[in-house]
Amino acid sequence: MTAGTKLVLLAVVLASATAWFAWQGASGSWQYYLTVDEYIAQAGSLDNVRVRLGGKVAGGSLVLGADRRRAEFELEGAGCRLPIHYAGILPDNLAEGRDVVVEGRREGDGPFQADRLLTRCASKYDPAARSATAAPGEGS
Amino acid sequence: MLILGQAALLAALVSFGYAAFGIVASWYSGHGGLHRTALWAWRLGLTGLSLVLGVLAWALLAKDFRFAYVAQYSSRLLPWYYSLSALWVGQAGSLLLWTWMVAGVACVFRRTSKGLPEPVRAVACGVLLGVVAFLMAVMVFGADPVAPSLSPPADGAGLGPVLQHPAMLAHPPAVFLGYALWTIPFALACAAAITGQLQGDWLAVCRRWALAAWSVQGIGILIGAEWAYEELGWGGYWAWDPVENGSLLPWLTGTAMIHTALAWSYRGVLKKTTVLLAVATFGLCNFAAFLTRSGIFGSLHEFSRSTIAWMFLLLLAVLAAAGPLLVCYRRGALRPQHALGGLWSREGLAALAAAALVLLAAIVTAGTLAGPVSKAIAGRAVTLEPHFYNTAAVPLALVLLGAMAMVPLVRWGGPPERAERQKLAGVVALAVVAALVAFIVGVRHGVALAVVGLSVLALGSLLAAAVGDFRSVLRASGWRRRARLLLARRRQYAGYVMHLGFVSLMVGVAGSSLGSATCDVTLLRGQAFEWLGYTIRLASVEQTVLADKRVVETRLEVEPSRGAPFLLVPAQHFHFTTQEWTAEVAVRSTWWGDLYAVAHGGSGDQRADLTFIVNPLMRFIWLSGGLVAVGAVAGLWPRRGAKGGRPPGTAAGLQPELDRFIQARGLRGPRRAPERTTGVSPAASCGPALNAPHRNPAAPCSRDAAARP
Repeated sequence: MTAGTKLVLLAVVLASATAWFAWQGASGSWQYYLTVDEYIAQAGSLDNVRVRLGGKVAGGSLVLGADRRRAEFELEGAGCRLPIHYAGILPDNLAEGRDVVVEGRREGDGPFQADRLLTRCASKYDPAARSATAAPGEGS
Repeated sequence: MLILGQAALLAALVSFGYAAFGIVASWYSGHGGLHRTALWAWRLGLTGLSLVLGVLAWALLAKDFRFAYVAQYSSRLLPWYYSLSALWVGQAGSLLLWTWMVAGVACVFRRTSKGLPEPVRAVACGVLLGVVAFLMAVMVFGADPVAPSLSPPADGAGLGPVLQHPAMLAHPPAVFLGYALWTIPFALACAAAITGQLQGDWLAVCRRWALAAWSVQGIGILIGAEWAYEELGWGGYWAWDPVENGSLLPWLTGTAMIHTALAWSYRGVLKKTTVLLAVATFGLCNFAAFLTRSGIFGSLHEFSRSTIAWMFLLLLAVLAAAGPLLVCYRRGALRPQHALGGLWSREGLAALAAAALVLLAAIVTAGTLAGPVSKAIAGRAVTLEPHFYNTAAVPLALVLLGAMAMVPLVRWGGPPERAERQKLAGVVALAVVAALVAFIVGVRHGVALAVVGLSVLALGSLLAAAVGDFRSVLRASGWRRRARLLLARRRQYAGYVMHLGFVSLMVGVAGSSLGSATCDVTLLRGQAFEWLGYTIRLASVEQTVLADKRVVETRLEVEPSRGAPFLLVPAQHFHFTTQEWTAEVAVRSTWWGDLYAVAHGGSGDQRADLTFIVNPLMRFIWLSGGLVAVGAVAGLWPRRGAKGGRPPGTAAGLQPELDRFIQARGLRGPRRAPERTTGVSPAASCGPALNAPHRNPAAPCSRDAAARP
């Protein structure tokens, strides 16, 4: 076996190992990222499934806990609204009318229980993408 | 001004289009008149493009809201430097800057490449001008930087507050300059393959430009990470979001390309890989622009209507076809000149590193495109958490670190000689001991132990090789000669310094990811709490109102268990224009780690909601940028006598001494691959320091007996 063949074999082994690790990583960390309307339309199949939802905090719906560790509001999409109960540190920019991303799950017809809440920046291209994935306490 | 900008933009598009065509056509037909007009068109185009940039910069400084771009990204209260930085915040402005940088870099290339064969130079310039013309077309048809506002507002929308940070003055231009510089290795590889002049000096020139691009882009990415760390307030510096991933991709394949190009220079192997990687790296620079500019992460509907998306997609398709076609077309000339010297040779390690880097790029691409692709196929978008990247990328990063750690004790062309093998065995033993010591001290995570062991391996092999070199140098007579011998190895050591940068990065990343701890706490005024050896007391919360924002400063007195007490002042800013809070974090940084404090909003002046994060070894991440900068400057510094093509030292009759020096080091020295065709003058070699043209390249060492015909 020539050195070239050995290296090609090694590369194949490396690629297979990487594919395996990628599969392991993906199966433990993927989730749906939906709009409120998509979520409500597919609610039947997503019962108790952890998802990430994007939408707007509906006007007049935001109630903050006195300890600033919880919030209740309605997440508004193009045509639907979904009640959200969030527990955790409140983002500084949480306000009615703001675009937010929540993560959590819903059982039956109860409210959506979120444990992660991120505000999307109102400014343009770059920070919107960044803050959507940047969360307090997230590992690097 | 608006009309001037528009006219200059159109004139520049037409001029660059004509110049690209003219330069290549005149080389093909030998028509001197066409060549002259093409050069004039080039000058005219550059003038026009500079004028557009000047007009937009002036409009931003003068806050002229008749320009739609200025109205969108600037405001009356914005300081002039941040207003100017809006040039690279929006889509149209950053495209303009990137285009102008490519055009500028093309001019520098033309001026400094007089030693290259004329056909290679002409076609390379043609490709560069073609790229400029393409980017100009994108601007004209998809993102006009000097478009007028339909109804000029009294005040602009302003710059996002998180973008008002010193790092944002440097990060985007550095990354765009990196993209622009990567165009040159691409253009040179295309030119060499198209003209068939694959031997000769283009490769050395290509490597220098690639190194410049790599270091500028790498430092740019690191500045971006530093911005994220200080400005976004979540305690991390890398979130694997599409914007970050986009800029990382060309850097990964570019790193691979630099290493395979070295293997090509020294051993005449991995040639096809090098050409493909040069094309891929340039393609990925455009892919990065496509990712951030096409709206693919917004809605697919918006994406399909975006002109820019289709233009970049077309370019990517052309590149994906052109790379393999070029390689097939020149497969004869791209055949390796030697058999690979096995895994335990430098070219073997280079091939392994290239494979690992390409796989890393594949992982990052797959993770980035998972959302849009799943949405298009299954109708439901899927996101992947950082856990995906960390799981898949860590083993590859360890393979890279391991391969790199061996390099100083391994030679080109075959497995290490006996003396080197003994040194390697010693260093490996040292690395195992270091990992054991780390285990006994209390490090339990497998990845952390591997990083400790491999870092010690890297440092140890570098030291062992340096000691060997130093001994050979001492054998030379006279200080001047010794100094020259040392200087002759400058590029090699520049490479080692950049490798140390990678070690430092890995140490920092492993330390800060694996050893990180977070604590959320609410403190009343005067209250103290203890955490990880720190006693933290809330001294006061102070508010001040400035012209454009309200500032809330939380003053914390921190007493560490060892060392002097210090003050941490995390703050929050409420920006009146955008009605938005931003967190200004406070960081106490030492070589052991960072104490990072963030204050959260709305808690009044008697209490504070705080998050504390300890990130061990963070400083090593920033140190890696410094090491890369030092290594790049040392490696790119022009050597004496380079213009005459004479390697250093030969003038003083030092060549025999250099040869002995190389032989004493077990033939580890750079060795020019034998030329396949004669007739290419080696006189103007810009190759590595010891790449002496008259070192009888046709006499490979005995291990090269397997060289193919």
